[in-house]
Amino acid sequence: MDPQLLLIGFFLPLFPLSIAVNVLLERMPTPWSRALVLLIWPQIGVFLVAEHIGELPDWIKYWGLATAGLYAFRMLAMREVNHWVGFLATSSWALLWTPVYKGLSLAEIEVLALGFGLPLAIMAVLAGEIAKRYGAAYTGLYGGLAVAMPRLTGLLIVSLFAAIATPVFPAFFAVLHTLVISQPLPAVWLVSIWGTWSWGAARLLQGLIVGPAELPYPEDLGIAMTWFLSLLLAGLAVLGLMYTGRLA
Amino acid sequence: MSIPLGLRLQIRSMIHVAAEPIPFFWPMRTFIHHNPLHGLEDLPFEEALQLGARLFHGRTFLPRVTYQRYLSEGKVERETLQVGIAKFLADRDRIGGIELTDWLSTLMTRRGRKAAVDRTLASANQVHAALHDRPLPDGGTQIMDLLRDQLRRELLGDRPLYEAVDALYGTAIGTELDELVIKICLDFFDEGQSVWDMPDREHGLFYAWRDMAKRNVPFFLRGLNISNILGQDERPEGVIAYVLGELGVPEERWIDYLTREMTRLHGWTGFIRWRSSAKNYYWEQRFPGDLVDYVAIRLTLALALLIERGKRQQVWTTELIEQGIETRTAEIYLRHELNGGRVTPALAHSVDMALKRNKPALIARYCDEYVGLKIANEAERQAVALRELAGLADGEASLLALSVEQLAELMDVIADLEAHEGMIWLRSLEVHAVRRFLDGVDRRAPARREKRPFAQALFCIDTRSERIRRHLERVGDYQTFGIAGFFGVPVSFMELGKGSEMHLCPVILTPKNLVPEISAATRYDEAALGVLEKALHELKESVLTPFVTVEAIGLLFGFDMIGKTVAPRGYNRWRRYLHPPKPGGRLLVDKLSREQADSIVRAVQRAVIVNAVEHELGLAQEQITDDLVRELREAALGHQRPDLGCCPQLGLDKDAARQFVERLARVYRISETDAHLQMERLGRIGFTLDEQVNYVGTALRAIGMTEQFSRFVLLVGHGSTSDNNPYESALDCGACGGNHGLVSAKVLAQMANKPEVRRVLRRQGIDIPDDCWFIPAMHNTTSDELTIHNLPLIPPSHLVYMDRLRNGLTSATRLCAAERVPTLEPDPGAVTDPNVATRLAQRNSMDWSQVRPEWGLSRNVYFVIGRRHLTQSASLDGRAFLHSYDYRIDPKRRLLETILTGPLVVGQWINMEHYFSTVDNDCFGSGSKVNQNVAGRFAVMTGNLSDLRTGLPSQTVLKNGMPYHEPLRLITVIEAPFDMANQAIEGVVAIKTLVKNAWIRMLVIDPETDKAWLHSRGEWVEQALPQATAENNAL
Repeated sequence: MDPQLLLIGFFLPLFPLSIAVNVLLERMPTPWSRALVLLIWPQIGVFLVAEHIGELPDWIKYWGLATAGLYAFRMLAMREVNHWVGFLATSSWALLWTPVYKGLSLAEIEVLALGFGLPLAIMAVLAGEIAKRYGAAYTGLYGGLAVAMPRLTGLLIVSLFAAIATPVFPAFFAVLHTLVISQPLPAVWLVSIWGTWSWGAARLLQGLIVGPAELPYPEDLGIAMTWFLSLLLAGLAVLGLMYTGRLA
Repeated sequence: MSIPLGLRLQIRSMIHVAAEPIPFFWPMRTFIHHNPLHGLEDLPFEEALQLGARLFHGRTFLPRVTYQRYLSEGKVERETLQVGIAKFLADRDRIGGIELTDWLSTLMTRRGRKAAVDRTLASANQVHAALHDRPLPDGGTQIMDLLRDQLRRELLGDRPLYEAVDALYGTAIGTELDELVIKICLDFFDEGQSVWDMPDREHGLFYAWRDMAKRNVPFFLRGLNISNILGQDERPEGVIAYVLGELGVPEERWIDYLTREMTRLHGWTGFIRWRSSAKNYYWEQRFPGDLVDYVAIRLTLALALLIERGKRQQVWTTELIEQGIETRTAEIYLRHELNGGRVTPALAHSVDMALKRNKPALIARYCDEYVGLKIANEAERQAVALRELAGLADGEASLLALSVEQLAELMDVIADLEAHEGMIWLRSLEVHAVRRFLDGVDRRAPARREKRPFAQALFCIDTRSERIRRHLERVGDYQTFGIAGFFGVPVSFMELGKGSEMHLCPVILTPKNLVPEISAATRYDEAALGVLEKALHELKESVLTPFVTVEAIGLLFGFDMIGKTVAPRGYNRWRRYLHPPKPGGRLLVDKLSREQADSIVRAVQRAVIVNAVEHELGLAQEQITDDLVRELREAALGHQRPDLGCCPQLGLDKDAARQFVERLARVYRISETDAHLQMERLGRIGFTLDEQVNYVGTALRAIGMTEQFSRFVLLVGHGSTSDNNPYESALDCGACGGNHGLVSAKVLAQMANKPEVRRVLRRQGIDIPDDCWFIPAMHNTTSDELTIHNLPLIPPSHLVYMDRLRNGLTSATRLCAAERVPTLEPDPGAVTDPNVATRLAQRNSMDWSQVRPEWGLSRNVYFVIGRRHLTQSASLDGRAFLHSYDYRIDPKRRLLETILTGPLVVGQWINMEHYFSTVDNDCFGSGSKVNQNVAGRFAVMTGNLSDLRTGLPSQTVLKNGMPYHEPLRLITVIEAPFDMANQAIEGVVAIKTLVKNAWIRMLVIDPETDKAWLHSRGEWVEQALPQATAENNAL
């Protein structure tokens, strides 16, 4: 097997090479370092793809789709938010193989990778904030975040929507573009992965934000941090419309 | 296979007993306020609340912070709380240097959170170490035994088995089972909402479902082996016995187990329980179903789901769970902690992973680590809570000086107080309410009136009458009385154009007399617009047509929607023009003589024959002569041979004519047997003269109105009007069974205006002058309007006074609206003008988007049985049921006992419904109206699938998420000599139980001795009374 391709398989993850990034994310000491990995990791993959000499094999996009499906399915049973973010990251980055194979420009793939990575990075930061207050970011143990911490919850919801490819974020256009350039059967598979992400997201939110909150409420996210993360998400939406909107 | 009759009967009895804690739930068309814990009223209040909280998983007191808010608002006095705490500590020893009274007072009034942490593992020794920042001592070797005991307590007992499996494996069998059962109930109990009916409903709930379940493909595909379970026995009792045996539930625990099973959907259980007891209920007669059927279905599905999941989890019977606890304690404990939502978050993921890997050694290691961490966590949290409390109470030094034993004792006292503090707060609130009441009442003997008032008005005892009575009394020479809204006359009413009877009396009574509404107008035809509306709705509700309907005529609905939303008052006025008014009806109140009844039967038979000849033979009206009808009737009744002479007139030969006559007898029921049945039914119509005298006399005596009758005596029924509101009948008159009170007012007015009735009453000492006229009227509690009815019957001599009467009523309406409407507005100070308030109130009654058209009976707290002067000078803010009563004309206490038996019981149900809907609106109330949907045309659900919501919506009892209704037990005040009141209470068993078990607070004001007595903690306690009685004290 092409060793360069094998290396790319770590960064645009293909199972079982995808285990590496998940282990790395698990071992990151702080939420910010985890966020950094989520931003940089796929960019390295895109860079390596650009450097790759020779044709990409046909099967690689199917392997990517299979990896995406596997991690989307695993996401459903995962209650720990950081691991959940890792699985969604793996699932979404694996989908990039299809546009890569179809010869989308390097700049556009970078934007798509950023579109997937940035909301996940924000989620990782927010998961860190939740863990700071409750001991762990874990669904089904405490609810009512919407009542207790409305700012943090608002950001968590929007970043989650951005991560699971809802309009108008870049991930939405990325998935839509992948769908358009796919053949019918892979397209159906892709749609089911997309649906599974939404399902997983609904379970995550259900286990965290609804229900009664226990008193006393923990301190909400700071104003400055809220503004910062909100602007990042707004910027991402604008970026999505400007650079990836035409892909659809 | 079938189980023996004895066991069948035993199971039926067990289900009957097991369902007793669950109250009836009546269809919402006639909303009946009820006590959600009615089944526990034979227990003392506090004990019943503890049991109720366990059974229904609900909260039975407000959170401490809400009580603390009441304290800051002056609704609770600190001294009363101190007394409550002192009584709590009465039998307890001192603990070290701790000032317990101060500590507990501080805890209740200054700390929002609980101070007793739920300690499951940490011992006092460990908390002591944490308090002194020392390393925690070891938990000892008995920890596994402790875990086993905990698990047995939590997982076994009367808990449904699937709940235990869910708690261990994170499955959702309970939720799934509830959803399946709700769908079945919705299908079976539907009362015309669905377009497609469930088949074979006439066979009963269990049998109809069984036949369908055996052919249910989704069940089969999911691997639910329903047929195998149902094949064990033909009857539901047999299926129940089989399932309980399979689950391994020992027979001595069946009742408790079944109770827990039924309380999971207590709304549906209450409805089925009521329905199966209502033998005259139309839908029950057509489609019978009872709790035995319901439980059989639940248990069948529960076992099928458990077997399906059990294949994977291997734990699905009592025995297997017991084995698991014994042999795999660490695993079962960790599973319970993780899936029961108790796991320490920091360890949740590790525990989850260890369980998923399923390696005993790994699990044991994690369990050890987890237990250690949990002990440390519990000890630390408890130590922090104690330190915080000590800081607030300035007792840090005393706390640190405590020995381990003393600390354990302190923690026990705190935990015990927190378990009982709700009662201390509640009693303190009630003491305050009693004091306010006593400060406000006028205890002086009422002065005798020199002349009769301009008008007298009898209002319902409903709390909403208090406001309008007060304003009416202030705007003119009006005297008002309070009486149960059905005016003491239980009536079964049949409305014009309707075929069903409506019971206008409290649900605890069953009326014997039928009062039909009849009209002199021509046959009542539905207007063309009405027919069009009906057609539109049918198109909308059909399975196939909605899409086409929306495309074709959706715009029409759009206009309707805009009109209702943008200008509800104007739009509704315009719509009224499109609907012709219903022809005015008269009530048949008098008993029919045999001749009259016979004549009516004959008239009905004649009308039926005319219709039959018209429709079947196509003869024109003018061809159907009286002689022809007579001949056909006589032939059908068998009075003459069926070889008719009128055959040519009918255009039939002799055989055809004979067949037609037979058809008249068989299909049209023109026969002697049917005539007898009709005569029997007609016998229920109306009241005899004696009955009328008795009802009028009792009503007047009960309220002390035996002299000085005015020219006008208004009998004011009440009801509400609102749009798009399934709870409309909850706002109507409870004493009229959740209906409007106008018909009852009309019935009593008709009786009281009858000269024969007055003649007999005069002989009994009630002299109603000839110029006194009883007029029925209606109080619309949403708009505050007072409307006079039966105007054409008012004697001409009285018409000259009508303007004055109308002006008085209009003024009272406006003033009442001005007092009431601001409480509904976000900014109460914004509405001060009576005209604006009246317009807003009218809008509320028509606005389909209004979720709170009025507050209804919210904030009710007093039930006053006494003369009006007692409370006339005070403003009770619409918080009191006022029943007029004059003890001086009731030496034998019969009237008082009647009031206690009927109106007070209804008042207590209303009060308790409000209490529990406020303290836990999600469990005992019905949540928000905003996301409710009508279910089967008899109830509401939250969303599209939930238990039937039985209590009051949050919009009725909460404002901005905080209680608007103050949840207090009903403070019942009797103005009568103490001995007399006490004997009356002792004489009515139901009330005696309620008083002794403290479900109501009884206060007796003795006007003879000028003393007041409150029943408290099982004895009568004299209450301090203010020295001088103020002229007008606002309560």
